[in-house]
Amino acid sequence: MPGWIRFLTSLKLAIVLLLLIIILSIVGTLIPQDQELSYYQQHFPSAVPWIKFFQLNHLYRSAIFLSLVFLFLLNLLFCSIKQLKSKLTLLKNRENFLAKFSAKKQGPVIQIKLPESLKTNHQFLLAALHQKKYAIKVRIKNGQPLIVARRGLAGLFGPEIVHLGLMIIIIGGLISALFTYRISVALIEGEIASVPKNNFSLRLNKFSTEYYPDGSVKNWKSQISIIENNGQPLNALVEVNHPFKYRGLNFYQISYGQDWDRATVELEIKTKETPSRKVVLKSGETMKIEPAMNVRLLSFVPDFQVDSANQIINRSGVANNPAALIEIQSAGQIIFSGWVFYLYPDFIQFQQKNKPEVKVTLRKFSAPLFSVLEISSDPGTGLVWMGSALLMLGLLFSFYFHYQELQILVDLNGYLQIFPYAQKNRENFYHETEQFLKNLIKIQADKGNRDE
Amino acid sequence: MNEFTFLLLAFLIYLLVMLLGFISFFNQRIGLRKTLFYLAILGLVFHSISLIIRTIVSGHAPFTNMYESINFFAWSCVLAVIILERKYNLEKTGPYLWLIIVALIALASSPALPKNITPLVPALQSYWLWLHVSVTLLGEAFLAVAFVASCIYLALPPGSGDKVEAEKKKEKYDLIAYRAVAIGFPLFTLGALVFGMIWANKAWGRYWGWDPKEVWSLITWLFYAVYLHTRLVMGWKGKKSALIAIIGFLAALFTFFGVNYLLRGLHSYA
Repeated sequence: MPGWIRFLTSLKLAIVLLLLIIILSIVGTLIPQDQELSYYQQHFPSAVPWIKFFQLNHLYRSAIFLSLVFLFLLNLLFCSIKQLKSKLTLLKNRENFLAKFSAKKQGPVIQIKLPESLKTNHQFLLAALHQKKYAIKVRIKNGQPLIVARRGLAGLFGPEIVHLGLMIIIIGGLISALFTYRISVALIEGEIASVPKNNFSLRLNKFSTEYYPDGSVKNWKSQISIIENNGQPLNALVEVNHPFKYRGLNFYQISYGQDWDRATVELEIKTKETPSRKVVLKSGETMKIEPAMNVRLLSFVPDFQVDSANQIINRSGVANNPAALIEIQSAGQIIFSGWVFYLYPDFIQFQQKNKPEVKVTLRKFSAPLFSVLEISSDPGTGLVWMGSALLMLGLLFSFYFHYQELQILVDLNGYLQIFPYAQKNRENFYHETEQFLKNLIKIQADKGNRDE
Repeated sequence: MNEFTFLLLAFLIYLLVMLLGFISFFNQRIGLRKTLFYLAILGLVFHSISLIIRTIVSGHAPFTNMYESINFFAWSCVLAVIILERKYNLEKTGPYLWLIIVALIALASSPALPKNITPLVPALQSYWLWLHVSVTLLGEAFLAVAFVASCIYLALPPGSGDKVEAEKKKEKYDLIAYRAVAIGFPLFTLGALVFGMIWANKAWGRYWGWDPKEVWSLITWLFYAVYLHTRLVMGWKGKKSALIAIIGFLAALFTFFGVNYLLRGLHSYA
């Protein structure tokens, strides 16, 4: 056997590969994956060159990791072939064992003397073995019956089935890594988007959030329509845990958000001339509220914050600190310009120009919801399911069934010569077999005596 | 009588079984073993009633947050102990396992773990929640038995003087550990990996995303694969085997607790 084949079939290689994969996998959980370079520069400044070189930021797709997995796949393949061959050879040898057996060279493991009455009648033995789930073949060797009884064959090949399952899973995983199609689409109600690399479009008809009585979210649902170039639009519902399938693609409800760039605000404006009035504005809209006065909503941010460089930023998409940038002009002059805060109506620090008699309050705000759907197809998935089923079947076979064999020769002197074989727990099996057969013969002999 | 009453009853019974079990180390009484066995079953019944009540009241499976999961894991450990005691006789492993079970329930009762029933977030509304979590925790319960048996093996003095007898005694625990892994490993494979992948595919659109929890459950699985191969193919037994079973369980613990509290990811609810 060439050296490289021996290397690939070695169990030591498997253990080493498993340990290396374990270590690398752990590293991948300690270094957050798929982040921007700035993240690593911030959190692991001294390790950045290492991270770049070893591709630790996408470790599970890195050259090292994929090589180890591929080597493991080969190891599994060569081991399985070797094991399969040797087990088939084992079975063949066991078949021919007693056919080639010579009493001079080897003695039986167990020898039991048959009482006179049972020397020629062996049906009871075959029936008892059959009841114990053995598959039996009887041959004649030199005029003597040779019984070959086997059971638990599944247990012998269980490990090969496990390994086959694992190989299929790994191949499925590699196919997924190479050929998955996955895109995210964010749509607000009524919006249509074409689905890339496919010739149909997707329209979000309605997005709804259901709530529990305590106010927490119960479910998100998107009612969509698939629009083909010809024909009727197809309506469908996409919910969390209930994806929609169409033409080999899966549509998942992944998340949602609010389109703050299209926010609408309700302001309360009080000026010198007029008492409070309510004004509803959309982002970027200018509204005339007096013959010579108009109000404009320049910008809206849901989570207003000032960073360390004194820049105004939006911290998140959640309405933690809603703020609107408003400008009011009267007779060509700006009489109000600045930020008004929903939570802090009296906070005027970010208002540049503010005639004291002008008061603007942010009363309400809203933004259209958009639904984020993920459209994907993963050709590796089927293989992973198939491999998983084989894996579980193989584990069941390996742990639940045990290959055991009894070869029994009835010799001319009235002795049962028994050659048990078990893959595991041999001592136990020999002992059990001896007990079983001795008891069986005793019961049968007693029966015979009573009948006489 | 609410769920906590039944849980308390179960806890007290487990405590009694544990104490009597430890006392039996010094005072062997064969009849006691049977009594403890039936007491354990009684405790399991009360514990089960507690879980059923919670399921009915909450309207969802009883393992959706840390309190529920630890409680269910304790229940699974009781089940594993009862099954293995019946099949194989756990000897000294028993009382130490009861100690762990009692500690788990005490931990679950800690005020640090909120017990209020909250409705399920959208991602958890699936019958896969039932299959994935329960089978995984049941598998881990058997792996916990292997952990304790391996610890006892390592803690027992090596054969001195009458070497054969002492070695035989230790061997028993080595065998208990293997048998526990032989049951726990397939369950863990099915629950954590296979059911996990199926559910992830339905809820998140991909069967495997190298999320820290997913990776650590794979790491746990790989450790036990190493355990089985070194044992079955290379004939490793005893000390070396015990060490691997212990490390594997520590990895399982990290998957269960460590990932939630020390790392981030999609799996942040349980």
